[in-house]
Amino acid sequence: MVTLQINGQTRDAPDAARNLLSYIRFDARLTGTKYGCGEGLCGACTVLVDGQPLRACTTTVGAVAGGAITTVEGLARDGVLHPVQQAFVEESAMQCGYCIPGFIMTSVALLGREQRPTRGQIREALSLNMCRCGTYQRILDAVEKAAQATEGAAR
Amino acid sequence: MSDRNAATAAGLRITGDVHTGPPPARTSYARAAYANTAPDATKATWLVVHADGTATAYAGKVEYGQGIRTGLAIEVADELRLPVAAVEVVLGDTELVPWDMGTFGSQSTARVGLQLRKAAATAREALLELAADRFDLPAGGLRAEAGRVKADGDGGRSATYAELLAGQSVERELADDVALMPPAGFTQMARPQRRIDADARVTGAAVYARDVMVDGMLFAAVLRWPAAGARLRDVDTSTAERMPGVARVVRDGHLVGVLADSDEHAAAGVAVLRAQWDEPGESPATPVDLPALLVESGRDPYVTQEAGAPEDAFRGAAGVLEATYFIPYVSNAPMEPRAAVARWDGDRLTVWAGTQRPFGIRSELAQRFGIEESAVRVIAPEIGGGFGSKSPYPVAHEAARLARIAGCPVRVAYTRAEDMAYATFRPAALITIKSGFMSDGKLVAWRFEGYHAGDRPFLGRRGSETPYDVPHVKVTTYTSDSPLPTGSYRSLGAAVNHFARESHMDEIAAAVGIDTVELRLRNLSDARFRRVLERAAAAHGWSAEAPPSKRGQGVAIGIDVGSYCATVAQLDVQGSEVRVERVTAALDCGLTVNPDGARNQVEGSVVMGMGTALYEAIDFRGGRVLNAGFTRYRVPRSSDAPAVQVELVGDDDTPSTGAGEPGIVPIAAAIANAVFDRTGTRLRELPLQRVLR
Repeated sequence: MVTLQINGQTRDAPDAARNLLSYIRFDARLTGTKYGCGEGLCGACTVLVDGQPLRACTTTVGAVAGGAITTVEGLARDGVLHPVQQAFVEESAMQCGYCIPGFIMTSVALLGREQRPTRGQIREALSLNMCRCGTYQRILDAVEKAAQATEGAAR
Repeated sequence: MSDRNAATAAGLRITGDVHTGPPPARTSYARAAYANTAPDATKATWLVVHADGTATAYAGKVEYGQGIRTGLAIEVADELRLPVAAVEVVLGDTELVPWDMGTFGSQSTARVGLQLRKAAATAREALLELAADRFDLPAGGLRAEAGRVKADGDGGRSATYAELLAGQSVERELADDVALMPPAGFTQMARPQRRIDADARVTGAAVYARDVMVDGMLFAAVLRWPAAGARLRDVDTSTAERMPGVARVVRDGHLVGVLADSDEHAAAGVAVLRAQWDEPGESPATPVDLPALLVESGRDPYVTQEAGAPEDAFRGAAGVLEATYFIPYVSNAPMEPRAAVARWDGDRLTVWAGTQRPFGIRSELAQRFGIEESAVRVIAPEIGGGFGSKSPYPVAHEAARLARIAGCPVRVAYTRAEDMAYATFRPAALITIKSGFMSDGKLVAWRFEGYHAGDRPFLGRRGSETPYDVPHVKVTTYTSDSPLPTGSYRSLGAAVNHFARESHMDEIAAAVGIDTVELRLRNLSDARFRRVLERAAAAHGWSAEAPPSKRGQGVAIGIDVGSYCATVAQLDVQGSEVRVERVTAALDCGLTVNPDGARNQVEGSVVMGMGTALYEAIDFRGGRVLNAGFTRYRVPRSSDAPAVQVELVGDDDTPSTGAGEPGIVPIAAAIANAVFDRTGTRLRELPLQRVLR
């Protein structure tokens, strides 16, 4: 038996060997975190564990026991979108949208450690996430915008 | 919340023919490919204005990234004089929406959008009439504005749509000749707008086929063939049946599924199935000489364009060039691997499937199980990309077959490797072009012979015609054997044919020493083509120079689904690495309902097409795919993505044509031409980085 915290809620996971992505999607029923490749190559399954981005598809529940997990469902507060989510909406930084939760989680992690990243840093941080619709330019624009918004709010 | 079910919703209902007019000739491929589905009704509800004054539009299309839910909402909102937020669009559920052949060929805005505009304009007229009765005024003196009908003049009377519709249940026939809002009256169309479904996509609330869970559902993993066309001889399921979490193993002919309490347990069960296969054809050890196979097996010549006598005209030309271009198989590789959930309720079947053809899949399932189409419901939720690959949807059949036998709902969800290996591919092609031209670069003769792999000739025909002014021309496409299954990919063969043609035009420019934009303009009289080319060149800051100029600039033009596109690529080459820095594309798709949506599509097409130009090729031996998965099949990432500038040049009074596909048509040639401009080396085979190595 393993105890996890997901989006502030404590949950028990009976099987420590359970794939973390499947646990999040099918046991916790938080399906915003996506399966894209199962090999940690596309980033669609990215969640935060204690603020650090992690590929859930190649992780077991046991490996994150005791950690605080944040999924895309845990970002908005009282119906107000997180600045990164808001920027993706404003830039229409999406087409099919399937990869977007992963990009958002990676971006939130980046802004957590780098308040005002350069375009190059954003590009680098997001280069392990994949968007087959090819909306990279908009995604980079959105993260830049979110960085400015967060910095403005912090000032 | 008003009732969103078209069959039962109260208010003002607009019904109309299911068919949105005869498909234009260019979509005959769709009729040829998917003729197995036909509408089961002639009339359908297209629009309901609810008693609360909001509206719901219904369309048989699906949303898989094109942004059509937003585009259709904008069209309805503008004709109905409502804010976009007051319009909901219901898509892709066979129980709720008008029959539709499928979402392909960029027909959503061109045809369904127009149909919904007519439905909304019909509703607007009906609301004006309701107000005329209520105010006892002639309808001519009334106008609809912001969800109200108002009488002209100060102090005139006014009523909201909700007030007009209170307690009413009105039905009107969609008026095909209704006056549509003229461009001067647009308040929503032709203005950039955000996606209306964005919030659900950034919060994780959007539900895709892979996310669907129903009570009592088992997770299935399916035994897959080792190579295309292999037949299952025998399978021993005894070990799999004893694996943890495995509920049972189900066999239905060649379909073997392990049903378990999780994807992982099901996959572990499949891994210990002991199967024996008969593999057809080529031994997996034998590499195929694909270019030779394409030419040698080419059959059924089909002439897509013919004029004059090109063979004679070559003799009178100042210069003659002949060149051969090769394009490998590529994978659509959408981010969401295919998945389906099937549930039987007695003899009624419900399938959640992320398919581009919910009605086609419904027909197929009804035929397979020998039941009425009305007993099958296919629901296409949000779809994580497809680019053509989700028109065939075998996973829906697998889920339905397994669920039928298992007696419980079953989910089948492909892994990435399954989705890439047990799929269709954009046909590989070999194209030979012979051109004759004068010393000023004017074309006199053109012979184009395209050998496209696969048994669907319409794929290779698309976009094979040349748009340039050439008096003597013959364009022929052939159908060639294919070791791999082929299928639809964004623009079908148009991107492939354009790569060859637009590369060749640059070869002529180099041969006569003329700037490549200038050479094209000298051979182009089509005004819309000239405009996109001139706009793309000007916006990019193109300066005329004969190639190779070392600048690393390349241009190409293209037409697909009735829309015109010109693309300029700017790049650098370091060894075998090509770095595309900046791309400028001009698109003319007529009335551009949501310019931001069209721009998004062109940006994406540029990135996707760049992948096919530089990195992507399916490797195979016999019928075995060797690089299924992202470890060995490289697709563009953010670190590869160029800055893309999109110029939209369509006129508001020209009917809308597609925006999702034309952007991919010129980009590969623009990149190859820019590589030549940079290095002086002409590459006639894709992907370029592999050739450079």
